[in-house]
Amino acid sequence: MLKEGALSGLKVVELTDQVSGQVAGSFCARLLGDAGADVVKVEPPHGDRYRRNGPYPGGVPDPEWSGLFLYLNSNKRGVSLDIESAGGWAAFLDLTAASDFLVLGQNSSEIERLGLRRERFSDANPGLIVTAITPFGLTGPNSAYLGDDLIAISAGGMAFATPGVPDRVGDPDLEPPLRSNTHMAGYLAGVQGAMASIAALLSRALGQGAGCEIDLSMQEAVAAVMPFELAHASYHKAKGRQPGVFGLMPNAYLPCRDGYVVVMAVMEAHWRNLMDLAGNPDWADLEVFSSGVERARNWDALEPLLLEWTMAHTGAEIAQLAQDRGIPCFPAYTVGQMVDSAHVTERGFMLDMKGPGGEKFKLPGYPVRLERTPWQLFRPAPKLGEHTSEVLGEWLGYSAAQLAELGTR
Amino acid sequence: MTVQPLQGIRIADFGQIIAIPYTAQMLAWLGAEVILIETERRLTTRIWPPFAEAEPGINRSGGFNLVNSSKMSCTLNLREPEGVDLAKQIISVSDVVLENYSSGTMERMGLGYQDVRGLRPDVVYLSLGAFGRTGPMKNLVGFHSVINLFSGLASVTGHKGSHPRIMGGLFPDAFSGCYCVLALLEALYHRAKTGEGQYIEVAMTEALATILPEAVMEYALDGTEPERVGNRHREKAPHNVFRCQGEENWVAISVDGDSQFQALAQAAGSPGWVDDPRFATSEARLGHQDELDPLIENWTKGLQAPDVVVRLQAVGVPAGPVLDSAQVLADPHMIDRGFVQSPDHPEVGPRPMGAFAWGVDGGRPGVARSAPLLGEHNRKVIQELLQVPDHEFKRLMEQGVIG
Repeated sequence: MLKEGALSGLKVVELTDQVSGQVAGSFCARLLGDAGADVVKVEPPHGDRYRRNGPYPGGVPDPEWSGLFLYLNSNKRGVSLDIESAGGWAAFLDLTAASDFLVLGQNSSEIERLGLRRERFSDANPGLIVTAITPFGLTGPNSAYLGDDLIAISAGGMAFATPGVPDRVGDPDLEPPLRSNTHMAGYLAGVQGAMASIAALLSRALGQGAGCEIDLSMQEAVAAVMPFELAHASYHKAKGRQPGVFGLMPNAYLPCRDGYVVVMAVMEAHWRNLMDLAGNPDWADLEVFSSGVERARNWDALEPLLLEWTMAHTGAEIAQLAQDRGIPCFPAYTVGQMVDSAHVTERGFMLDMKGPGGEKFKLPGYPVRLERTPWQLFRPAPKLGEHTSEVLGEWLGYSAAQLAELGTR
Repeated sequence: MTVQPLQGIRIADFGQIIAIPYTAQMLAWLGAEVILIETERRLTTRIWPPFAEAEPGINRSGGFNLVNSSKMSCTLNLREPEGVDLAKQIISVSDVVLENYSSGTMERMGLGYQDVRGLRPDVVYLSLGAFGRTGPMKNLVGFHSVINLFSGLASVTGHKGSHPRIMGGLFPDAFSGCYCVLALLEALYHRAKTGEGQYIEVAMTEALATILPEAVMEYALDGTEPERVGNRHREKAPHNVFRCQGEENWVAISVDGDSQFQALAQAAGSPGWVDDPRFATSEARLGHQDELDPLIENWTKGLQAPDVVVRLQAVGVPAGPVLDSAQVLADPHMIDRGFVQSPDHPEVGPRPMGAFAWGVDGGRPGVARSAPLLGEHNRKVIQELLQVPDHEFKRLMEQGVIG
């Protein structure tokens, strides 16, 4: 039996285009659906871009079974409309007039071209909260710039800051700034967009029901999650990309027998424990390694000695040995090690899914447990146009004749 | 400007290091009154660099001041029963309690959810842990690097053919904080409707794993582990950062489709690229990036990064500068939009910082005040809010309960 979510009874319309804001807008709208809102995703007749992304359960491309689409669009209903046609545009406007939220994931030039600024909606629906997620925002000198995940991660400062502590740039010539092979900026902006939307909902409840326009920039959504990195620039000086040694050591990212491991033992108790694990070698007592500061100063001599120990063990062994003694060491997990870990399994974090041919697979679940308004899978991602008639009838009272005119199925 | 969404909401902030302090800071920016409960006896970010002009001091740390703005500071020694009692009194007049101590610490102090809901039945209480509050790894110490490494993010981050890398910016803390704020706003909306408070639990490792759906699915289907591909993309080429004039300067360029590539070739003064069979179509370019990228870099390295961006954006090619943190804070675009704000601080003066990533109706919710000095609001919280009489306040100070 499904419980009501915190946002049950509220309506959301999502319109995302074929480019940059897609993951951000779709994830933002999904998070509102996760909280119980009735989310309607408006897709063009040829379908959302991520229907063609995969991975596919059977390995064969199928727009109804693209993994990324399934992930981004659960807890939504799907409406297919050609908003470039007169009838489709009118139906889209009717949906926004009946809704509490409109979530847009677009380039700003596309938002301007379609006239999707709040003024367009405020007469018909003064309470509408418009959440527009764009690469560089709707205002400012660079607002018209096109962008995507790589551009936002770069312009927001994260690519330059990667690798991050205690990982270090080895050879600056071979290691340019780096992004992760994910849609990271999209997720960062999507969560912040959902947060901004619900903040606006609380404002609306306190302020005579007026809606607003939220102008969220993906570039800023990246910069916003790096307060410590910005603090260096603001208070002293920005970090460069030259290889450097931290003030206290060891706080290092080192190879081990089967991968890589973080070894952190800057506190004296941790260092003693680490040397115990390493079998108290003669060098452990050398004056040049007698404090965190000395170990940093003489890191070039210490690193190869520590490597002898890490290379003699697997990451899992090091983690076990170290954590038993309260030393914060940890290996780089593969995706499989994470998915299959006893921890993830016991917490029930992964969602178990089934493909069209009964293929079993998993997707990440919800990272927040709310006691009273728990996350639920209210419904899987919609097939293309699955709910067009249902939603246009239910929300707008469209007649069969009107639906036929739109050519909906 | 719209109404502040959290006006009249009071938060008891037991946050440590970054994740929960940053969560509470965002709530303060939304209008909540946030009481940061800290103690002189166990300082963390206050005594860590970066310090203003590298000169240490408990009120001079950028790491502290940039995640604790707009809050009040109240110093309580929670090892003393009377300190815990004062904390309970603060909770009893608060709407939200936030904590990210190691698992079990709040409970040992008598400040766990089951302890405090009797004081304030409709309290919204959020616990954040590196690995969460349940499961075999719940007690593990988890810095941002551990979160990167466990979640699998490091395994999809790295240069081609090379090892897993740790993403920069300590972002798992603040990103988890965003999920916390989202959950808290939902819970406060639910409370406004029903009068019910609730307990919320968040795991940082899980927050980070939410950005890896494709890798998780591929592994679950047939055991495939992702390859590390540097800055490359499964569909777009070229898609990389390219060296520009000067030291440590790069530009990011991402080309989606043949017409954008044609525009890039024109802008780079090499219209012939589009006739080269290796580069003529997206599919061909995906297979020949090792040859194409150096040609593009030959062009960009003679130019300033902002110049490349302007030239490419003018012809509809997605491009952006690779900014370092000083350039982020000095970026005219983000300054114009109101992202960069500089609240004045009594000891270190105005310092730029990032506010919310969004504007509302042309205004920007954000930093009202700089971070508090250590214990700056002890009197305000303990005497004015809790109504502790003056002589009692002095005694608690002298006995080190406050402090």
